[in-house]
Amino acid sequence: MSTPAIQATGLTKHFRGESGETVTAVDGIDLTIGSGEIVAFLGPNGAGKTTTVDMFLGLTSPTGGTVEVYGASPHRAVMEGRVSAVMQTGGLLPGFTVRETVRAIAALHGRPDRVEVVIERAGLGPLANRLVKACSGGEQQRLKFALALVPDPDLVILDEPTTGMDVGARQQFWDTMQADAADGRTIVFATHYLAEADAFADRTVLMARGRIMADGPTNEVRAAYGGHTVTFRPPANVTGANGIDQAWLDDLRKAVAPLGIYDLEVAGASLEAAFLALTGTPMSNENETEGALR
Amino acid sequence: MTTMTTTATHTAAPTGRRTARPLALTYAGLDLKRQLRDRMGMFFTVALPAFLFFVFGIGDGEAYGSANVAMFVMVSMAAYGAVTATTTVAGAAATEQTMGWGRQVALTPLPSLAFVAIKTAVAMIVAAVPIALIYAIGAATGSSGNAFDWLASAAIVWLGSAVFAVYGLAVCLVFKGENAAGIASGLIVIMSFLGNLFTPMDGIILEIGRFTPLYGYAGLARYPISEGHLPNDAGHDPVWLLLANVCAWTVIFAALAVWGLRRRRERV
Repeated sequence: MSTPAIQATGLTKHFRGESGETVTAVDGIDLTIGSGEIVAFLGPNGAGKTTTVDMFLGLTSPTGGTVEVYGASPHRAVMEGRVSAVMQTGGLLPGFTVRETVRAIAALHGRPDRVEVVIERAGLGPLANRLVKACSGGEQQRLKFALALVPDPDLVILDEPTTGMDVGARQQFWDTMQADAADGRTIVFATHYLAEADAFADRTVLMARGRIMADGPTNEVRAAYGGHTVTFRPPANVTGANGIDQAWLDDLRKAVAPLGIYDLEVAGASLEAAFLALTGTPMSNENETEGALR
Repeated sequence: MTTMTTTATHTAAPTGRRTARPLALTYAGLDLKRQLRDRMGMFFTVALPAFLFFVFGIGDGEAYGSANVAMFVMVSMAAYGAVTATTTVAGAAATEQTMGWGRQVALTPLPSLAFVAIKTAVAMIVAAVPIALIYAIGAATGSSGNAFDWLASAAIVWLGSAVFAVYGLAVCLVFKGENAAGIASGLIVIMSFLGNLFTPMDGIILEIGRFTPLYGYAGLARYPISEGHLPNDAGHDPVWLLLANVCAWTVIFAALAVWGLRRRRERV
């Protein structure tokens, strides 16, 4: 087989915390991503996804272990234009127009010939002369996707690219992305939107507390870990003829939101279940909640 | 072989990828255009000093050193404009870095040092705008001095303004956030008063002013005209004092910038 896109061995990153204590953001990750794969990094905030991605890109150096991108150092891969990235929100200059932004980054890559190609690819043609600050969040993310395409990379890494977008904008972003992925690029994206991993990734890597909890084809991850359903029995005083009291449901929603649950109405075997089972945090709270409910 | 070319438009080439050279000049041109288009920034760096020149002494033909009062004021205002320009551009560069554009640039083959060089060049070109404009207005409205006065003062104003790029960088690295650039250029106004740029000072304020950052720079810029003699017979500054002021503040600003950078890195 050809050289893998990413090869990480024992990848570890410690940070110095606020009060001098050592925080382990990434805890010994072993991972191989082959050429042409579409892989989702799924996990709650603080799982270490961004730190991992930063090490793949050479923006952060590991405290332990090694990472190679196409058999070379991440920095080398970036220099050669083999890998590029769409970062989380921010990272654009509001005073540039869309086309100027692309031209500026294309100049730094030495690829002015790519400007019009990537503008078209990202569907930015009609916005090309608009100032970045006048673009919506979704449009700005598509611009960043266009910037990532400038060096014509073999591997594109996207770090929570759709954070803060509404459903429509998110769909549009992924449509654009998928059209391009058909070109045979390797795509790695971090997300905490479970549905995105479900819909767009062939393979899902589940991360929690800096470790890989599961890694496999997305449908297998779902099948293996999605068999458990947690059922709550609401107290009698909130159940009426018209169903469960709306205010109580709202309270419940607020109460479970910190656990990463963003929708109570999801039913059946799904990645949501896998997500909860694997990230583990709900376990202790779950019992408490159950006790309170009965 | 020919069948392979029809399948994929993009294939991961194992080796021998083309390595293109960064086009730094194109980037600098785009960045410069963006800076010059910023109306707020241009108001403070170009329009305000030009306006102050009108207020404080345009066309004042009274002799002053080897030139006249109008020229003396002209140099002061050009200095104020140039310093505001470098402070703003350098400060904005620091803010851009922290707001994520730095990561975007870090993912291109451009070496970091080349990026600093581009930014410095852009700042120096932007600083030349108020100097050129105010000198042009001065030349058209009766500022007069000998050729050496014109050339030497313009050169000192322009080159010395680089010190305040370091200042702008320092302030924006020490104070985080979008307001940092505003704080930096706001402080420039106060320092301009204390630096004897706007209205001639005397007494205790002048004694304090001598130790403020713009004093040495402005004094040097006007030295070809005044040879260190202050307006209204308020006193005389030897060259060594002005140079010492500039050097001391350069060191202080650089130290602050390094400290701010380290502190920021640790927080990452």
